[in-house]
Amino acid sequence: MSAASRKPGGGRLVALILLAVPLSIYILLYLMPIGSVMSLSVDNGELGRRLSHFRVADPQDRDARTSQLIADMQAMTSGQQAEVARELNQELSGFRTLFLKTAREADRIEPTLAGLVAFDARWGDEKYWAVLDRNSDPVTWRHFLRATGLILDDGGKVVTGGDDIYLQIVWRTLVIAVQVTLVTLLMSYPLAYAIANASRRLAAFVLVAVLLSFWTSVLVRTTAWVILLQTTGLVNTFLLWTGLIAEPLQLIFNRFGAIVAMTHVLLPFAIIPMMNVMRTIPKSQVNASRSLGAGPIESFLRVYFPQTLRGVGVGGGTVFILTLGFYITPALTGGPQDQMLSFYIADFVKRALNWGMASALSVLLLAIVLVLVAVFGLVRWFFSPKEGVA
Amino acid sequence: MRATKVATLCAVMTLVSGAAAARDLTIAGWGGNYQDAQRAAYFETFAKKAGLGFVETTYLGGLAEIKAMVETGNVTWDFLIMGGAELQLACDEGMLEELDWKVIGKDNLLPGAAMTCGVGNVVIGNGYAYNTKAFPEPPQDWKDFFDPEKFPGKRGARNSPGMNLEYALMADGVPPDQIYEVLATPEGVDRAFRQWDKIKPLLQFWESGAQPVEWLASNNVVMSTGYNGRIVMAKHEGKPLEFVWKNHLVNMDAWAMVKGSPYKDHITDFFKTVNDPKNQAKFSSLMPYGPSNAAAAEFLTPEMMAELPAGDNIKDAAFYSDAFWIDHLDELNERWSRWSTQ
Repeated sequence: MSAASRKPGGGRLVALILLAVPLSIYILLYLMPIGSVMSLSVDNGELGRRLSHFRVADPQDRDARTSQLIADMQAMTSGQQAEVARELNQELSGFRTLFLKTAREADRIEPTLAGLVAFDARWGDEKYWAVLDRNSDPVTWRHFLRATGLILDDGGKVVTGGDDIYLQIVWRTLVIAVQVTLVTLLMSYPLAYAIANASRRLAAFVLVAVLLSFWTSVLVRTTAWVILLQTTGLVNTFLLWTGLIAEPLQLIFNRFGAIVAMTHVLLPFAIIPMMNVMRTIPKSQVNASRSLGAGPIESFLRVYFPQTLRGVGVGGGTVFILTLGFYITPALTGGPQDQMLSFYIADFVKRALNWGMASALSVLLLAIVLVLVAVFGLVRWFFSPKEGVA
Repeated sequence: MRATKVATLCAVMTLVSGAAAARDLTIAGWGGNYQDAQRAAYFETFAKKAGLGFVETTYLGGLAEIKAMVETGNVTWDFLIMGGAELQLACDEGMLEELDWKVIGKDNLLPGAAMTCGVGNVVIGNGYAYNTKAFPEPPQDWKDFFDPEKFPGKRGARNSPGMNLEYALMADGVPPDQIYEVLATPEGVDRAFRQWDKIKPLLQFWESGAQPVEWLASNNVVMSTGYNGRIVMAKHEGKPLEFVWKNHLVNMDAWAMVKGSPYKDHITDFFKTVNDPKNQAKFSSLMPYGPSNAAAAEFLTPEMMAELPAGDNIKDAAFYSDAFWIDHLDELNERWSRWSTQ
C-alpha cells in the first residue's frame, strides 16, 4: 500500500488529477452561469423558435405570410403561444393581447391577410408586421439595441436615436463607483495606518471595530444609516439641538446618503489589503529618512506612501468593482437619481419578467468591468519596473 | 471496500430522495403577519378537515421558480398566493392548474375573483395616507395629494408606474371607471405624467410597503401612497395615520395551484375553504384586507368594515387592471424610469 503510493509517476499523477478536480469544478461553476447569461442576452426565446414558417415566407406575398403565421400559431402549444405573445409585447405594447387572441382562435381564421384583418382590424396596421419581421430569428440583438439606445431604421440598419436611458444609467453607475472609491480610500488610509503602526491595544481595537462591521449584514448596516440620517433621525436631531441648523437637512434618499452607506459597507475591503501592505514596511525606513534630514511630510510622501500604493491599488480596485454591482444599499438610501444598473437588472428579472433585457444589461456591466480591469492592468504594467532594465 | 461505500451512499441518497417525493402539502405565501393570518384562517382549517399535514414556504414574486418546477416535473409547491398580473401570465403559459368553477362555486364572490387559474382572495386597498398632525384640514381625494400649494410637504410614492398613473388621472378628474381607456392613449399617459410633474420635487420613493408607514409615523413625509392594511395596523398601534378611502384602487391577490401538483385531489376543498365567508372574516379581522366574498361582511363588525376595502369603502373605488399592465408595463416602465431619474 505505502510502496504503491511512493511509486514515482502513478501516485503523483493521481494526486494531480485529484487536485485539479476542484479547480475544474470551480471553473465550470464560475463560467457556466456567465455563459448562460451571455447566451440569454441574444436568445430570442420562444419567439425565435416558433415562427419558423413565417420566417421563410416571401415578405412581399402578404397572403402567404399570413397563412404561414397562422400555421405557426397552430403548431404551438397554448403555453408557447403565451410566451411568444409576451415576448412580442416587449417590442410593442398591446401585441400580447392581439397575438394571444388570434392564436387561440387560429383554427377558425381564414388564412389570408383579409381574413386576419376581418378577425381583428389591428392586423391591418403595418407596425405589428414590422415587429414580427424584425424579431422572428433565433438570435436577436434587440436587447442590446435597447440597452445601448440604438434602433433599427426602416431599412433594417442600426442607427442612433433611440432612448439612451440605460447608457445614462451606466455612466451614473461609473460616476458613483468613482465617488465611493475615492471617499473610501480617503477614510480607510488613516485607519489602515493606525492598525499597522499604532500601539498594540489601539490597533487591536480599530481592527475589531472594522471586522465587526465587516461581519454585520449589509442590510442591517444600510438600515442603520436610514435611521441615523432620516429627517427625524439622530444626526438631524442632534444638529437641531446644537442650533447649528434651523431646518432638518436632507441627508438620505439622495446621493449623499447613498455614498455614505456604500462607503461604510465597503470600508473593510479597502482597509484590510492596505493594512497588510503597511505592516510589511519596516519602520526603520522612515526613521532613516528622518535622520538623513527629510521632514515628516517629505519622509511620508517619498518613502512611506509610494510603498503603500500596491495596497491602495488592490483596495481601491476591489471597492470600485464591488460598487459597480451594488443594488440594495443605493435602493434603500438613494433617491431615484442614484439608482445603479443592478437596480434595473433586478427590476427586469422580477417585475418585467424580461430576462433577455436583464442579461443584456448584465453583459454590458461585465464588459465594462473587463475593460476597466484590462486598463488597470495595462497601467500597472506600464509603470512597473521592467526586468532587465534597472 | 470503497466501491461498497459508494454504493451504500448512492442507495441512501436514493432512499432519501424517494422519501422526499412523498412530501407534505406545501403552501407558499408572502410571509409575515399576512401569512400568519392566512394560517389561522385557512391552512389550519383546511388541514384539519382534510386530515393532512402541511408545510409552508415563502414566495417572493416572479415566475422563475414556478416555471422551473413545471418544466422539470419536480413540483415542490402545491398552493401559492400570487399577484394578478403574474397569475395571468403563469396561467397563459401553462404553469397553473385550470379551475372548474362549477365545482368550486362562485356565489357572492366579487367580480374578477373567479379567474381561469386563480381564486381571488385578498382585496387590497391602494391609496394614500397622511399624518393627522400635519394638516389642520385633512386631505380628501387625489386632487389634494397632487396639490403642493394646499398641502405642502414631502410625499412618499412607489418608484413604479403601476397604480401611480391611475392615481394621477383620478386627480385630473378622470372617473374611476374610465382610467384605463384614457391611459391606453398617449395623451392620457402625458396627462398622468403632468400631474406627477407638479409634485416631483417633493417625492421620496419607497421600495417596500413598510417604508411609507415608518416615514409617515416619524413625520418624514406628510402623505404617502401605500396599502390600507399596513396603515390600519399602524393606526391600531397608536400612530397618527389616516387612510384616504376616496377613489382608492383595489386589486386582488389570488390563490393558485402549481400544475402537476400531487395534491390535485384537494384543489376543490382548499379553494372552498378560502372562499368560505366565515374564514374570510377571520382573516380580515387579523389582517385588515378585504374579503373577496361579499357574504363575509355579516361576520365583521361595522368598525372593522370601516377600515377594509369592502362594503361602502369600495363604492367609488377603481379596479386595478392586470390586463392593462401586462400589455403596457414594458413601455410605461421605461417612460417612468426616464421621468423619475431626470
